[in-house]
Amino acid sequence: MTPDGLKIAEIWVYLSGSPLFALILTLTAYQIGHVCYQRTDKYPLANPVAIAVLLVAICLYVVDMPYQTYFEGAQFVHFLLGTATVSLAVPIYRGISSLRSRLIPLLVALLCGGVVSIVSAVGVATLLGADAAIIGAFYPKSVTAPIAMGIAERLGVSPTLTAVFAIVTGILGAMLGSTILNLLGMKQWWQRGFAMGTAAHGIGTSRAFAVHPEAGTYASLAMGLHGILGALLIPLLKNYL
Amino acid sequence: MISGLVQILLWQGLGELVSHFLLPIIPGPVLGLIFLLIFLLVRGHVNASLSLVSDAFSQHLGVLFIPAAVGVVLFLPQLRAHAWSVIAALLVSVVSTIAVTSLVLRFTAKKGAHDS
Repeated sequence: MTPDGLKIAEIWVYLSGSPLFALILTLTAYQIGHVCYQRTDKYPLANPVAIAVLLVAICLYVVDMPYQTYFEGAQFVHFLLGTATVSLAVPIYRGISSLRSRLIPLLVALLCGGVVSIVSAVGVATLLGADAAIIGAFYPKSVTAPIAMGIAERLGVSPTLTAVFAIVTGILGAMLGSTILNLLGMKQWWQRGFAMGTAAHGIGTSRAFAVHPEAGTYASLAMGLHGILGALLIPLLKNYL
Repeated sequence: MISGLVQILLWQGLGELVSHFLLPIIPGPVLGLIFLLIFLLVRGHVNASLSLVSDAFSQHLGVLFIPAAVGVVLFLPQLRAHAWSVIAALLVSVVSTIAVTSLVLRFTAKKGAHDS
C-alpha cells in the first residue's frame, strides 16, 4: 500500500470506530431527504425518512460496514425516541379541547379503524402466506412509529420491520387518502382529517395539515389517541387473536 | 429549553420505572406520555419551555427512527420472498382503515346530531 493509501485507511479506521461517522451519516441523509421533501412541495413519495433510509443503506453497502457497527454509533439518535414519545403529550393536550364535544363518535371511529387496520393487514398477509415475523410486525404498524416500535418490542416482534411498515403505511395513506375520502363523499374536514390520522399517523397528519388546518388538527389528535390506545390494547388483542 | 427537556426526561424516567415494576406490558415512554398528559390536563396549560422542546421533537420526529429503520437491510431476503403479500396487506389495510374510520364517524356523528 502507498503511504497515502495507508493514511486514508488509518483515518477511515479511526472515523468508522467512533459514533461520529454514524451520526453524520444519519443526519446528513435526513437533511438531504428533508430538502427533497420541501423541493417537491411535500409530495408523500419524497418522504424524508424513506429517502434517508435508502441513502444510509446504500452508503453502508458501499463502505462495507455491517449494520451492527452503524447502529452502535447511531444509537444516540435512537435513544431519543423514548423522549420524543413522551413529548407527544403536548400536541395531544392541545388537540383535546376539540375532542370534548365529539368524544363518543371519535373514540368509536378510532377503535373501529384500529381494529380494521390490524385485522385486514394480518388477514391478507396470512392468506397470502407471509411468514410469522412479518405478520407479527403488522399489528402495531398503523400507530405512530416511535410508539409502534415500543409496542413491537413488548410483543416480541421486530421493531425494525414495524418501523418500515409504519412508514410505508403512512406514505400510502397520504397518497391515497384524499381519493378514498372523495369517493366516499366525505365532506366534513374534521372527519376526513381524523380518518387520515387514524390510518396513516404522522405522515397522514402532515398531509392533512397541507390540505386543511381543521383536518390537520383532527389528524394529529387521531394519531395521538391511536398511539395511547394502541399501546394499551394491541398487546391484549395479539394475545387473544 | 433546558427546563422543558428536564421535565420530559423526568416523566420518561417515571414511566420507565412504572413499566418495569408494575406494568411490563406497556412501554415506559408511553406511560411517561400518559403521565405528562394527565399533568397538563390538571394544570391547564403548557409552559413555553416544554412546548419549545416538544415542537422541536415533533417537527423532526422522523430522524429518530432512521437508525432502526435502516435495519431493514437485514430483512431484505425475507421481504423480497414475501413482497407481494406485504404490499397487498399494507394497501388493503390502509384503504379499509380510512374508509371504515370515516364512515363510522359520519354515521355516529349524524346519529348524535339527531339525538341532541
